[in-house]
Parts: sequence; structure tokens; C-alpha cells
Amino acid sequence: MIDVIDLHKAFGTKKVLDGTNLHVERGQTMVVIGGSGTGKSVLLKHIIGLLKPDSGSVLIEGMDITRLNEKSLYEIRKKFGMLFQGAALFDSMNVWQNVSFALLRAGMKEEEARYIAIENLRRVGLTNVEDLMPSELSGGMRKRVGLARAIAHKPEVLLYDEPTTGIDPILADAINDLIIKMKVELHVTGVAITHDMQSAYKIGDRIAMLYQGRIVGEGTPEEIKSSTNPYIRQFVTGSAQGPIKIEGVRET
Amino acid sequence: MQEIGINSVPVVLITAVFTGMVLALQTFTGFKRFGAESLVGSVVALSMTREMGPVLTGLIVAGRAGAAMAAELGTMRVTEQIDALETLATKPVKYLIVPRFLSGLFMLPSLTILADIIGILGGYAVAVGLFRLNSVLYWKRTWDVMETGDIYHGLVKAAFFGAAISLISCYKGFYTSGGAEGVGKATTGAVVISFMTILISDYFLSAWLF
Ligand SMILES: Nc1ncnc2c1ncn2[C@@H]1O[C@H](COP(=O)(O)OP(=O)(O)OP(=O)(O)O)[C@@H](O)[C@H]1O
Ligand SMILES: [Mg+2]
Repeated sequence: MIDVIDLHKAFGTKKVLDGTNLHVERGQTMVVIGGSGTGKSVLLKHIIGLLKPDSGSVLIEGMDITRLNEKSLYEIRKKFGMLFQGAALFDSMNVWQNVSFALLRAGMKEEEARYIAIENLRRVGLTNVEDLMPSELSGGMRKRVGLARAIAHKPEVLLYDEPTTGIDPILADAINDLIIKMKVELHVTGVAITHDMQSAYKIGDRIAMLYQGRIVGEGTPEEIKSSTNPYIRQFVTGSAQGPIKIEGVRET
Repeated sequence: MQEIGINSVPVVLITAVFTGMVLALQTFTGFKRFGAESLVGSVVALSMTREMGPVLTGLIVAGRAGAAMAAELGTMRVTEQIDALETLATKPVKYLIVPRFLSGLFMLPSLTILADIIGILGGYAVAVGLFRLNSVLYWKRTWDVMETGDIYHGLVKAAFFGAAISLISCYKGFYTSGGAEGVGKATTGAVVISFMTILISDYFLSAWLF
């Protein structure tokens, strides 16, 4: 379903993606792990065509979206839903208008769109927030509204940028369940970024680790747990000792 | 986006009335030296409609609405709201920039008409109320020299300024980078470039139109 092939991207002189390869099967959830600032969000934005690579390609069902014209790209985006790291809610609209934005744009009547928004909000564990403004929500609530918005138009592919960050563990697990439910019931193909290994093991069919612009290891949750790959071991155990160097922190 | 116009009305009114007043004051004291005080009405009317109305309104709108547009779009950019629009299959240019451009294009001439009228009334108040010029003569001098072309060309300038302000401010906001600091820079940049564009293009537009 999704093939990322030898992707390169630099911002100025700073190389972020340096030959990234990733393959996601239809109907599966791929979890991408990796340290802060390694380019996980940048990778996700390439998959939905928000960023153009310097070289390499992104195939969606065999079609290279990095070479599409604007019209076809917008057409293919209708298959996608994306949860942004900072939720990216529209501050000028209230919660239900945010959630049903795509439906309203497609010409749905307000009353119906509001009703569907309330339904979608309930799925992410929110009630009685539909008429609030985004500025009145907590960080975790914003995240969930962002998720409700991402699933509103019933996408085939969902991209989740840190879905459980900033959310308490119980709610985080409910979000994990929701992501699994999207996969099982709606056959959604997912790519999720997370630092939360518990969540990664639970929602991921496969887990890949990004380091210095490349995927340095990949496997099923079981394989990752018992991996001998030093990068993965260090990340999974959360150790400061190992091959992954923390920029600006001197070695002892 | 109507707020662009409505919110600017009080500032435009105050600026226009005092500009009209000071124009009357200065021309009266100056023209009195060679006994031409009756021409005050003409000077106020021509200055307001051809120059002061469009330029001052343009500067006010650039400072208020231009800054607001750049800050709003800049914030949307750095908080990924513009990216989010794209993922919801909405073209940001069409959705965000076109309506702002149109409101700039139409709002500025409307505000300029208001400024022209209020400025002329301000001049009248000073000339007739303070310096006891003959009221009938004041209006006669106003209408005698002013042609519809003066008003019309002033409004063409205003429309040009309105279009320029919204394009510059939207561009600055849309291509913001670097977080909150970047939004600040984009906003300042939008206002400064708009001011320069208004003042410089005003000369060339005047040379071309009149
Ligand atoms: N639009 C951009 N312009 C310039 N540099 C960028 C841009 N987007 C990302 N970067 C840079 O690319 C690098 C990777 O950013 P990215 O947001 O993908 O990190 P991340 O892996 O998602 O980190 P985190 O876990 O903290 O979210 C960072 O150094 C960042 O500064
Ligand atoms: Mg990120």
C-alpha cells in the first residue's frame, strides 16, 4: 500500500532523511520509533505529500505521489487522514466545525455535520465539547479532537503523529484501542509515530526505527522486544549508553 | 473578514477629520498672506480625495488589517493548520488568501470614501467655524474645482493599495517559518513592506493617473 523508496530530504545544509526505505502492507499498522528530531514527522509529511523530497519516491498503491500534479494529489489526499503532533486544530472554528471540516467542505448540511461530529468525538472519548473553541481545551483533549477530525471522512490510510503523547496512561490505552479498532473494523492502513513503547507494541503490526535519516531496524513487536540490534536495544530500554549519540551531550 | 473594515472605521474617522482640519488650518494661514483664503475649500477637497484619503487609509489598513492577516496566517503556518487544511483536501490559497485579497480590494475604497467625506467636513468645520469663511462660498469652491475624476482616481489608488496590502501580508504570513518569533517577524515585515509599497507606488500612480 505504502512504499517509501530511498527518500532524501535536507533543510538547508541539514540532512534529515538520508535514504529512508519503508514498506507498509495494506490493512496493517506500521509504527515508526526514533529519537527527538530524527525526522519522524518529516517522514510522515512526505507520505501525504505535504513535503517534496529532494530525491526518492513515495508510492501509494504503486502511484508515485511525489510526481503528481496538484489536482491528482488533492484527489488522493481524500484517502488520507492525519493526526498532527500538535493537533493543528483551526483556532477560528469551534470543535464540531473542526471535526466535520472535510464534510462541511464537501457540502454536507450543518445539522448533519454537527451530529456526525458528536459521534466522532464520542469515539475518542469526548462528550459535551462540541461547542467549545480549541483554545478552551487541554492538550490531551486537543489531540483527541485532532484524531476525531482525522477519522471523520473515513480515510483508508491514517497517519498518527504521536497519538498518545501528553495523554494520561488510561486514556492513552483507549486511544490505542481506537487505533486498533480503525484497523480491524475499517481496514485502515496506519502509520504511527510514537515514543511510547507500550503503545508501539500494542498497535504495531510492525515497528521500524528511524535513526540519522535511515531505518536502522524493523520487525514485528516480538522481534523488536528480543532484538539484538544495538540501536533498537538502546532505544527500547531507554538508555543513554549505546550507539545513539545525543547531540550536545558530552560522552563520559 | 468584514472586521478588517469595521474595526478600522473609528481610526479612519479620527485620522480623516484631523487631517481635513489641519489642511484647512495650514492653507488658511498660508493663503491669507496673498488674500486667497477663499480657496481653502478647493485645497482641502483636492488633497483629501487625491492624496490624503487613499494614502492615510491605506497606511491605517496596512497597520491594522495587514498586520492581523500576516499574524493570523503566520500562526496557522507554524501550528501546522495550513498543512492540516491540505490534508483535508482544501487548497489553502483558495480558502485563505482569495477571500482576504478580495476584502482588501473592496474594503479600502469604501473606507477611503468615508475618509474623503469626513476630511472635507473637518476642513469645513475649521474654515467656516473657526475662521468665519462664508459657508456658501466654501462649498462653491469645493465643487468648482473638484471633478469626478479626482474622486475616482483616488479610489483606484485605494483599490491598488488594498490589493497590495493583502497580497504582501498574506505572502508574509503564508511563508512564515520559525515559530512565534517567525510570526513576529512576518507581521513586522508585512507592515513595513506595505508602508513602503503604498508611499512609493503612490507617486507613480499619481503621475500616471492625474
Ligand atoms: N519545515 C522545516 N524547515 C526546516 N527544518 C525543518 C522543517 N521541518 C523539520 N525540520 C527539521 O528537521 C528535523 C526533524 O524534524 P521532525 O519534526 O521530523 O522531528 P521528529 O523526529 O518528529 O521529532 P519529535 O519526536 O521531537 O517530534 C529537525 O531538526 C527539524 O528542525
Ligand atoms: Mg515529530
